[in-house]
Amino acid sequence: MIEIEGLSKLYARDVFALDDISLRVGRGEFAFLTGASGAGKTTLLRILLRQELPTGGRAVVDGRDLATLDAADVQRYRRAVGFVFQDFKLIPRKTAFENVMFALRILGVPDVQQRRRTFQVLKWVGLQHRANAYPVELSGGEQQRVAIARALVNEPVLVLADEPTGNLDPDLALDIMNLFREINATGTTVLVATHDRELIRHVGRRAILLERGRVVEAA
Amino acid sequence: MIGALKYFVTEAFLSLWRGRRSSFLSILTIAIALFMLGLFLLVSANLERTMQEWTRSAEFSVYLRDEATPDERAAIERALRAEPSVAGVDAVSKDDARARFRRDFPELAPATAGALDNPFPASFEARLGSSAVSPAALEKLASRLGVLPGVSDVRCDRRWLDRLASLGVIVRWAGLFLAATLVVAAGLTVTNVVRLALYARRDEVEIMELVGAPMSFIRGPFVCEGVIQGGLGAILALVLLRVVVDVATPRLATLAAGVFDVRTIEFLTGATMALVLGGGMLVGCLGGLAAARRLR
Repeated sequence: MIEIEGLSKLYARDVFALDDISLRVGRGEFAFLTGASGAGKTTLLRILLRQELPTGGRAVVDGRDLATLDAADVQRYRRAVGFVFQDFKLIPRKTAFENVMFALRILGVPDVQQRRRTFQVLKWVGLQHRANAYPVELSGGEQQRVAIARALVNEPVLVLADEPTGNLDPDLALDIMNLFREINATGTTVLVATHDRELIRHVGRRAILLERGRVVEAA
Repeated sequence: MIGALKYFVTEAFLSLWRGRRSSFLSILTIAIALFMLGLFLLVSANLERTMQEWTRSAEFSVYLRDEATPDERAAIERALRAEPSVAGVDAVSKDDARARFRRDFPELAPATAGALDNPFPASFEARLGSSAVSPAALEKLASRLGVLPGVSDVRCDRRWLDRLASLGVIVRWAGLFLAATLVVAAGLTVTNVVRLALYARRDEVEIMELVGAPMSFIRGPFVCEGVIQGGLGAILALVLLRVVVDVATPRLATLAAGVFDVRTIEFLTGATMALVLGGGMLVGCLGGLAAARRLR
């Protein structure tokens, strides 16, 4: 699903955020990207979300070379990829239901189907009873569930998550990880960036360790 | 398509409501600009109509001496009718002239009541044809008629009508220039107000980009916001203009007595109002587009 070859990202002169890294994440795999702050986890995810372009090397996702995508291709690509961030990135003036449904609306899915699918996904993350709440009325864990529901509502082939449990207490973090495991069980590829080694150990999946922009361990 | 339009309009109204102070300022700026434009269109259309009416009415007057003989009068009338530029001739007697004065200037009428003799001269009023007659030709005609026996004076309305028309053209162009400047300023205000809305919603725009929303979907509500501002500004301008016309007309009646009948003032036609409304929406749309262009 993800093939990275000799990928580099140079921000300033001789300051590499990513330095010639190569790695693969198979279709249907669940992998962690870990390392200390500044190791390059977020930069790699930003490149995989096509928010940034690499300065060297190649990143291919689901057969698409990300550097060659034009603006319309980037939009299409992002619709096929779900993302989850540490700060949830929910639209504050929309309810939980509307935040999730928005991802379907831009696809031009008919209204009835939008509502049905949104309700299903909110139910799946256990938030059907909070559908009409605004983000500010939700706890951190609930907001992250809404963000996960939004990432899943389009049935993406790949879910990328950047420190999705960074703002949550350990119990909630485990709940969220269980959701990712369930997502992965349906065949969706999941790549989660986290610095929480304990969480990785608990989930027990492959971890790719980054250090100063280099892959030092991919077992 | 309809779903997307519904989304754009709903989002645009929500955004207008959230930033209602700046939105109101923007709508007011457009309203002022379009009010000025509408006012000049109104003045210009009515001026043109009045000028046409004046042009059609008596334009060339030959005043007669009181002692002019019937033969002299007949000769003068013949000379007038023989002119190719003259479309028609009306004879105005001394009594007709006094009656007309009393009708047109009722407040001065008592002054004429005490006079023993009627001071108003009889005249021939010639209507000039619709084809353009050069001022030089008119001057020539006036001097030729002026030397005929029985003629005391020759006045040509067309001369001052031409001057008035030239002045009208200058006023109209100056007005249009002023209105165009205001319209451009209104467009820039819309751009800045929409840009503020865009700045306030930058996080939302980022999320939309991340979920792969097409650029048209992201820009749509902002452009729609501009269109709505322009439309509301135009409607406000037209309402203001109607109020101003209704309030000003009775006041103008006294001021313009004897010059023109204010009851004949016509409001903008449906087509012109549609043009003002469409213009407002276009200015708003361009302002919204200019602001949304920053999104890439």
